[in-house]
Amino acid sequence: MSSIHNPYLPEIGTVIKIIDETPNIKSFQVVLNNPEKMKNFTFEPGQVGQLSLFGVGESTFVINSPPTRMDYLQFSVMKAGEVTSALHELAEGDQIGVRAPLGNWFPYAQMKGKQILFIGGGIGLAPLRTLILFMLDQRADYGDITIIYGARTPNDLCYKDELKEWEERSDVNMILTVDNEFPGWDKRVGLVPNVLKEVAPSPENTVAITCGPPIMIKFTLQALSELKFKDDQIITTLEKRMKCGIGICGRCNIGTMYVCKDGPVFSLTQLNELPAEL
Amino acid sequence: MEHFLLEKNRLNEFLSALRNYEVFAPVRKVGLTVFELITNPKEAMLDLKNQPQSPKRVIFPQSEILLVFDKNNAAKEPKGRVGQKPQVVFGVRPCDARGFHMLDPVFEREYPDPYYLQKRQSTLLVGFHCSEPYPNCFCTSVGGNPSSPEGLDILLTDLGEQYFLEVITSKGEQVAKEGAAVLSSPTSQQQTEKEKLSGMAPQKIRRTIDTEGIASKIEKHFDHSLWRELSGKCISCGICTYTCPTCHCFDIQDERVRGRANRLRIWDSCMFPEYTLHASGHNPRPTRTERLKNRMYHKFKQNIDLYGVPGCVGCGRCITLCPENVDLVANLKVIKNL
Repeated sequence: MSSIHNPYLPEIGTVIKIIDETPNIKSFQVVLNNPEKMKNFTFEPGQVGQLSLFGVGESTFVINSPPTRMDYLQFSVMKAGEVTSALHELAEGDQIGVRAPLGNWFPYAQMKGKQILFIGGGIGLAPLRTLILFMLDQRADYGDITIIYGARTPNDLCYKDELKEWEERSDVNMILTVDNEFPGWDKRVGLVPNVLKEVAPSPENTVAITCGPPIMIKFTLQALSELKFKDDQIITTLEKRMKCGIGICGRCNIGTMYVCKDGPVFSLTQLNELPAEL
Repeated sequence: MEHFLLEKNRLNEFLSALRNYEVFAPVRKVGLTVFELITNPKEAMLDLKNQPQSPKRVIFPQSEILLVFDKNNAAKEPKGRVGQKPQVVFGVRPCDARGFHMLDPVFEREYPDPYYLQKRQSTLLVGFHCSEPYPNCFCTSVGGNPSSPEGLDILLTDLGEQYFLEVITSKGEQVAKEGAAVLSSPTSQQQTEKEKLSGMAPQKIRRTIDTEGIASKIEKHFDHSLWRELSGKCISCGICTYTCPTCHCFDIQDERVRGRANRLRIWDSCMFPEYTLHASGHNPRPTRTERLKNRMYHKFKQNIDLYGVPGCVGCGRCITLCPENVDLVANLKVIKNL
């Protein structure tokens, strides 16, 4: 229609593999149909994309495979609304629209040489997974890696095979928790922010990166402050209802920032300068 | 630029002469005056009252197809305006012309939006000087002027039996050329009369608000309990956003039509709870208090931070048309005095 690049036009991709993560979360591995575009596709850990099903709609998900593993792009989708329910009906081989990459990314260059503390809840592990795998693929660049991850029940934990792998690694300190006692569960029990306080990691030369439901983020930020983490040592990645993904349609703003375009990654220092509308 | 005189009784001839343009003008429709494509100049309602709808919709339609999908799931752009005639919007008020200036950076800055920009570039705005502003007009408080040519390609001033026609831009010059047969030269007396009217118009604006310092007040008092009072009457109907010449928020929805599907963008409103509702049920702006506050924040803080001007042209529609008499100017005064 015009010489201007159309930012609303998705690339077409194929779902090459679907993984059942939990009763309501599936991961989709997607390859762009145009081999040239797939080969030249670049992104940074933490960036998001819009997945679309034509005639149903479009929703935003983080690319949770790292840029160090470019055989496919992985997205994890919790069944919650219209688009996510339709995505859950897909079969391997189905076509899907992809608009990516969008948004900003984790400031990983500034994290080199530091201890890394990941704190995730439920589907909130998805964006952390990108950075965890990215760091594990360049393990020598980072100090100790601690991952605190929780979900409502053991069945609701995502990426179960990888969790097991990370537990077995000697260079990762993996702490798993579920909200309540559960038959057969012999690990920690308790909400993520409370477990964080029990584990009490040192803020010394450490960066904390957290993602989860808004209520978990809220109490995790409080817990980190109690543990004497400074605001610029705390990074989070936020969720908002989004449509355009390019800072025009309006709805995902926090103050003057659009989460889709200026985020989703923010430091607590940045968030403190914005209105508290999480 | 050049000045002309257009006899009022030859206006239809002037519009008819614009054969190389699609002409939009205010037309009467189900009891409202709205900007629509006219095929016969007689349809145009030029005894202008400030229309409840701004001409925003000519360039940013309420509903617009972004993509069409075929059976093979290929997404295509709909046929655009390429090859079509340029558009003239006739009867634009200076405030509404400035409204496009407010929308431009949103749609062209970081991710140029081809749908908006293509129509914007092929559209001319012919405006009317507001010699009689309306009771809720406050354009002079937000950088506007009822006789300003800003954003217009041609400005008309009503001299009674004639229009004084000022060509503002080179695009406007082209239109004047097409209608040259019905234009004449103004006398120096008519020129003086026009200037007198221009000078008087700003003084006729009855509502004013000194916006200096409001942005920092909104930020400082973001959690103030007063916002609840200011939004007490609001019923979240969204009329303020639908009639606003600078509101640009939209939703994107897919629709299926007989085996095909379209992706549409449709105006949305920050007054609606669904606007920010997460699929999880969480809502960062659950009540009308947060929503009304966000709208004022967007217009009088965010827009200034992003683009250097308030996102408001002072047209007063949100005040006049609000069914609950929520009054933006009065609310701004309350915030200012905090």
